Amino acid sequence: MNDFLKGLKRVGIKLGFFAITVLTILLLPIFSLIRIIEKIFKAKILYFDPKKERNSVGRYLIDNWIGETYQAQNNRVFVYFLFPALGAFLLFVALPFIQGIYFSMTDWTGLNDPSFIGLINYKTIFLDYEFGFSFLRTAIYAILNIALINVVAFSLATLVTQNLKLKNVYRAGFFMPNLIGGLVLGYIWKFIVDKVIVQMGGVFSPSLLINGNTAFLSLLIVVTWQYAGYIMMIYIAAIQNIPQDLVEASEIDGANSWQKFRNITFPLVAQAFTVAMFLTLVTAFKQFDTVISLTQGGPAFVLPEWIGNIYGLNLLPVVQSTDLVAINIYNEAFVNYNMGIGQAKAIVFFLILLVISLIQVYYNKKKEVEL
Amino acid sequence: MKKLLLVLGLFTVIFTMTACKASEKTLVIYQNKVEIDEVLRTYAEAWGEANGVNVEVKTCGGDTCAYGTQILAEFQADEQPDIFVIEGMGGYNIYADKILDVTGEAWASDTDLEFVVDGKTYGFPVAVEGWGMAYNADILTAAGVDPATLTSQAGYLAAFQAIQAYYDGNASMSDYAVVSMAAASGMTWVTGLHNFNGYLSSGLAYNDSTVIDKLNNGEVDASRLAQLADWVELLFTWSDETILLSGGYDEQVGKFAAGEAAFLHQGNWTDSSYTNSDFEFGYAPHATLTTGNTSLFIGAPSYYVINKDTDSEADAKAFLNDLASTAEGHDYMVNQAHMVPAFNAVTLVPSTPLSALVMEWNQAGNAYAWWQNDMPSGFGMEVVGPIYELFAKGVAGASGGITKTEFIAQVTAAIENLG
Repeated sequence: MNDFLKGLKRVGIKLGFFAITVLTILLLPIFSLIRIIEKIFKAKILYFDPKKERNSVGRYLIDNWIGETYQAQNNRVFVYFLFPALGAFLLFVALPFIQGIYFSMTDWTGLNDPSFIGLINYKTIFLDYEFGFSFLRTAIYAILNIALINVVAFSLATLVTQNLKLKNVYRAGFFMPNLIGGLVLGYIWKFIVDKVIVQMGGVFSPSLLINGNTAFLSLLIVVTWQYAGYIMMIYIAAIQNIPQDLVEASEIDGANSWQKFRNITFPLVAQAFTVAMFLTLVTAFKQFDTVISLTQGGPAFVLPEWIGNIYGLNLLPVVQSTDLVAINIYNEAFVNYNMGIGQAKAIVFFLILLVISLIQVYYNKKKEVEL
Repeated sequence: MKKLLLVLGLFTVIFTMTACKASEKTLVIYQNKVEIDEVLRTYAEAWGEANGVNVEVKTCGGDTCAYGTQILAEFQADEQPDIFVIEGMGGYNIYADKILDVTGEAWASDTDLEFVVDGKTYGFPVAVEGWGMAYNADILTAAGVDPATLTSQAGYLAAFQAIQAYYDGNASMSDYAVVSMAAASGMTWVTGLHNFNGYLSSGLAYNDSTVIDKLNNGEVDASRLAQLADWVELLFTWSDETILLSGGYDEQVGKFAAGEAAFLHQGNWTDSSYTNSDFEFGYAPHATLTTGNTSLFIGAPSYYVINKDTDSEADAKAFLNDLASTAEGHDYMVNQAHMVPAFNAVTLVPSTPLSALVMEWNQAGNAYAWWQNDMPSGFGMEVVGPIYELFAKGVAGASGGITKTEFIAQVTAAIENLG
């Protein structure tokens, strides 16, 4: 128990010093301004006597940041070098993000003067069955998409790292779809599905794109076709980086190809798995362009009964079957002109995506092997 | 020496900047009709040269550019156009703070279709458009159908049956369609806006807004809705199945333009597709009501409005006045852009078949109003359209479709949600 309290205290102190450091970095411009004024007027506004300071926080500040020690001077210069990047980050990422949080609590429509309405938008979207359905669809889509893309990409990567004659041609070929823009690709595949394979009859006629579930499946296949080549490149790089001496040693020990794959290839490409899984996860959740051109969010679909029950709906409403979250947000903001609600959806989306990707990276990292 | 150079350089920069500002009177028009982009540009440049104004035409529309989104972005980026386009009341509500009151302009006395709110004029009608059931008169005559009977659902049913019998009697017409209509995801503007407008205006006087007012208050006119459902079922039953379920605009209009469909559920904007069509065209009203349908849906789809914060108000007003009153303006609207002008002073007749027909129906006073743009934004295309889509599947027997009863229940629920 005592140990636990001690540990807690240590963490607390560390956190405290971290907070102080961040504050000092942000306040450093003011501090240097004061120093300049001091130099001009030859006065002492901010003066610390290093010898008299007994408080541990004060000592830390003087020794590491504002004193004249070697460490403090060094630290200050580092921070000055940080400012261009930090400034750009604050201006183009942090500030719009905070502004976004503000707009999510207003009734902004894009042209009116927004007025603050608290958390009403968040309440609206949690009661909105369309958003709930959209999120469920996106989650299913993401899981299937991640699995499919990674399996296909990894298989292709193992294939084109074998001793094949034209392996560079294959690599280029598999990568090619990724060079076509998502919109164009969607239109091409819409043509293929609506006009070409319909001629084969059977399940392909009428068009796969008019039924909610088959349209969803078509979307999965199209996106896999496009993105697997890119992920394949990541795996190829990882597979080529496996030291050949390990492989040779295992061969001398009599390992068969499955054992080599299971015990050498797989652990050593785990790092690539982290990257590839993260990329596929994020792109799957943010899928937009291909959906717009392939299915326009449709086809329409009667809401499944169990979801209707959750929201207590007597009449099951009509929803769009490939209405993924990104499209739902876009429509809310730019078709229905509810910028506030759209922004609130975007914030919820961001938080959930953040949590999911952190969990994913954490678990994948644990599997990685350092050589 | 260095200082002298610096001062000289500075002066050059300042002079160039002031010089630019002095001579450059600009007028930015941001419009949404892709098909008239080029001719409008030509006309605007000619007008600009004659009046010493630098006119810039920007276009965003069609399938690939969402006008509403883009114009919002322009406003937010502070690149405000001087003249832009609104689509009826829905658009007015969004941009109300930005629109200049143009009451008393000369062009307004020459038309009945200007955009008016509370007695003040705001919008210049870009053109008149209309839709109904366009038909191929050659097929109708060959099948022995008299277009005058196409005013009731019973009349349409008899006509559809006669046409189908005519097709069945000709081996070469096995893949001909009775009706060419599309209800898939991308076509909800045809179903959710154009077809649904019949519920809002069929059989009513031109300025009778009772049904749309009730809709916006969440009230349903059950009898009208039931009649609409019968009409939609009739249309879907006799439509070409492939085009109905998965076709886009090109397939839908293409079938009719090739002379392989008797009826087309579209308006006069399809005229540009008929350059190679050699048959007689006609228009018949939608039979939204069981009986007594006499008119096409005719109105001004969009209006030019002037930005309240513009620096070139006088130029913008002059541009619109000249468009409505000069021979060049008339020539541009009728002969170049193939539009049906809303102004009485225009004597030219459109050379394209459906536009000429719309003008004829309009002059005869056979017009039902357009109320579809007065529904809340997104309601027609995002809410009603998908219900039509499912109903189309139900009628065609594809999986996941709904029945007529469900169609009525879904639309009723959607309208009641607006209250």
